[in-house]
Amino acid sequence: MTHDFVRPLTLTLGHLYPDQLNLYGDRGNIMTLQYRCQMRGIQFRAVGLGIGDALAPDEYDMLFIGGGQDKEQAPVAQDLYELKAIGLWAAIEDDMPVLAVCGGYQLLAHYYRPAEGPDMRGLGVFDAWTIHKGPRSPRCIGNIALSWNGSTLVGFENHGGRTYLGTAKPLGKVLKGSGNNAEDRTEGAIYRNAYGTYLHGSLLPKNPHFADHLIYLALKRKYGEEYLLAMAGQTEPSETADHAAQGLHQNGTVALAAEKKTENSLKPSDILTPLDDKLEWEAHAYILERLGLHSAALTALSAYKK
Amino acid sequence: MRKYRSSRRHIEQEQKHPEASTAPSIRPVKEKVRHSRQKRKHNPLRAALAVTAGRAFGAISRRLHLGGGTSVPGVVAQRMYPGVVSYLAAQLAYGSLMITGTNGKTTTSNFVSSILRDAGLRVWRNREGSNLMRGIASSLVIRARPTGRLRRSGQAISVFEVDEATIPQALNEISPRIIVFNNLFRDQLDRYGEVDTVLTNWQKALEHLSPETILVLNADDPTIAQLGNSFKGQIVYFGINDTALNLQSEQTGEQNHQVIDTRTCSQCGHEYEYAVRIYSHLGHYRCPNCGQERAQPQISAVEVQTEGFDRYRIRVQAHGEEHTLIVPLPGLYNIYNALAAIAVARTLGIDWEPIENGIGQSKPVFGRGERIQADGKIIRLLLAKNPTGFNEVLRTLFADQEKRHVLFVLNDKIADGQDVSWIWDVDFERVVEHTSSLVLSGTRARDLGLRLKYAGVPEAEMAIIPSTPLRLQREERGNSARRKKKTATPITIETATHLYGLKQALDLALEQTPTGETLFIVPTYTGLLELHHELEERGLTSRYWEGRDG
Repeated sequence: MTHDFVRPLTLTLGHLYPDQLNLYGDRGNIMTLQYRCQMRGIQFRAVGLGIGDALAPDEYDMLFIGGGQDKEQAPVAQDLYELKAIGLWAAIEDDMPVLAVCGGYQLLAHYYRPAEGPDMRGLGVFDAWTIHKGPRSPRCIGNIALSWNGSTLVGFENHGGRTYLGTAKPLGKVLKGSGNNAEDRTEGAIYRNAYGTYLHGSLLPKNPHFADHLIYLALKRKYGEEYLLAMAGQTEPSETADHAAQGLHQNGTVALAAEKKTENSLKPSDILTPLDDKLEWEAHAYILERLGLHSAALTALSAYKK
Repeated sequence: MRKYRSSRRHIEQEQKHPEASTAPSIRPVKEKVRHSRQKRKHNPLRAALAVTAGRAFGAISRRLHLGGGTSVPGVVAQRMYPGVVSYLAAQLAYGSLMITGTNGKTTTSNFVSSILRDAGLRVWRNREGSNLMRGIASSLVIRARPTGRLRRSGQAISVFEVDEATIPQALNEISPRIIVFNNLFRDQLDRYGEVDTVLTNWQKALEHLSPETILVLNADDPTIAQLGNSFKGQIVYFGINDTALNLQSEQTGEQNHQVIDTRTCSQCGHEYEYAVRIYSHLGHYRCPNCGQERAQPQISAVEVQTEGFDRYRIRVQAHGEEHTLIVPLPGLYNIYNALAAIAVARTLGIDWEPIENGIGQSKPVFGRGERIQADGKIIRLLLAKNPTGFNEVLRTLFADQEKRHVLFVLNDKIADGQDVSWIWDVDFERVVEHTSSLVLSGTRARDLGLRLKYAGVPEAEMAIIPSTPLRLQREERGNSARRKKKTATPITIETATHLYGLKQALDLALEQTPTGETLFIVPTYTGLLELHHELEERGLTSRYWEGRDG
């Protein structure tokens, strides 16, 4: 088999404010995306976008924004609004996957109302808003698990503000923990392919399925399903009869089970080579067990073992 | 029972201890300075009762082996009489010193104490690990008579190691002679809050500080140095002036991931520029916008030379004089700790000889470079509690190209911080291809395994031995009632051998370390406590718990 004609897939991630918004080990999210792309032969590049840098949506395939200290968040909010808002809006309306964690999530909602002082204006990507109810209201701190897309997401949350959703769809339902506001059991927000969440820990290493979901969205947006399908079809003629797990592109780029071709919607696992995620799922299951969610832990572990 | 006896003997020994031969070169503090800012009217009778009750409960809890019992006297006495700390502290003839900061509190306190002892002073300390208010209270209560008066009429100088978050409370009760602020890094965000929160609390506490108190500040940490901006009393700055230590010139960009917790100028919010960066945000900084810059330190290390893994020779300049001394501990951070101690000692008017001896002969304390012999192997314990601390430990460990035997222990208990996100900020990329054997343990060994995997360490090269198995795996190992017994038939899910718990991790790590070589153990705080317990059981400790600070 020759694959010389196959151009390697590439993804470029724009990391917003890596210097200012880096409080909770958010680097782990970038490293996870990088590792999981590289393992599949997808070239991955992360570009830092600091204060004063413009955001040209054409240059990126996905975006990440983390959380920071309150003091550092104010100049970031201003820069985001003045310099990057248009680019970011265009990217999001064009279905670019965006992951916004903690402070970044708050900045993508309508506003953040601190306990004292003026409101901090957000971009309004998510129809949601955040209110800090003053020093007397306890921070939401601790391990958290939510149900997402038929599986679970785990992480650690640490936020003083309470976020309330308008028409925005939540990322998931809280199984254990506080979530957006410790009241309505919602966590995070979704708008098109933009995801806002309070989960760090870092989020993506222990939630490999969510990381793959983001990579899949980025690939699908950039190359289109047909191209990815065609690539898989061209390079795997001899293995079409094989089982999905075996139907991998030999040089590791794209995997596709033949029978999936006929289905309308693809899943990340159809496009992306499965990786050995034993450690990831054990760490994931450990958090679930710590939260007393034993059956969810069992599901998570057995899902991996399959 | 044994513990109780030994502590009694310990007290007797202290009482028989002859008055130090050389007369202390420092003077007692004036009566009025010792009083805390709260002009509280004290009730000596209640104080005496509180002391009696505190000591009684302390004795009982030691006898019943309820934990270490070290903070019980303080808890009880404070409950009985909230003013007990300020009442007792005011009796200290030589006053007290406070040492705080994110990293280096214990080592700095140790340096200071050993200098002061060498200078002929009687030194009282709060026991390690108990740097909260209750620990400070205990250290005074156990040295007080049932009459509510300190033993030996308080003819001692107290060195208090104070938790960052406890500073406001402590300054409320005690007016120290000197207070040292060493550094401020992100640490346990779930417990302390953001760095800014800690700083704001410090600033508020300092507003009420007596101008008689002397501030000893790290000139190289912009957050710490600015604490002096509005202080009316005397300030002594210390810092490193050896520009050869500049991090920017030492390493290549890719490997050089520093966690920087202070980025912007406290005055105008502009980003600082660094002429020299020692580590994290420590260095020679300047704000290009408003011109705020590093204060010139009165005590500075002008030359730092490495002499092996755990020995530095430093040339210190202080008020025009120059002296060379040895710092017998690994890690650049210990240079700062030594400078802080020198600043304290010089401020108290102590000669150079006790300073050189005190630092040069000080033994590593509890887990901070501590060295333990184990069957022809050497164990070095290097506590790492937060990203900057961990980064510096890794930098020290892997400074030369030698391959190390390493055991990491990552716990997420309350005292460690329940959020382990920070491991993703640690530069674990340094570990890749620099270990001969690598074992991971602790409650969050799996998270650490992931971190190392993503850093590029092949899974086959690390043994992951978490504290407990997953429930599912336990069930597969057989009847849950028998799960701890080795007789249960081990049914493996995948390939890994099923080992759990620190004991097994230590066994494996020692097994992989050949005779004559060193095993480096890098634990978080509770990991260190567990390790000490484990090593004690094996008869391998460096007699920490007997303590020399009685």
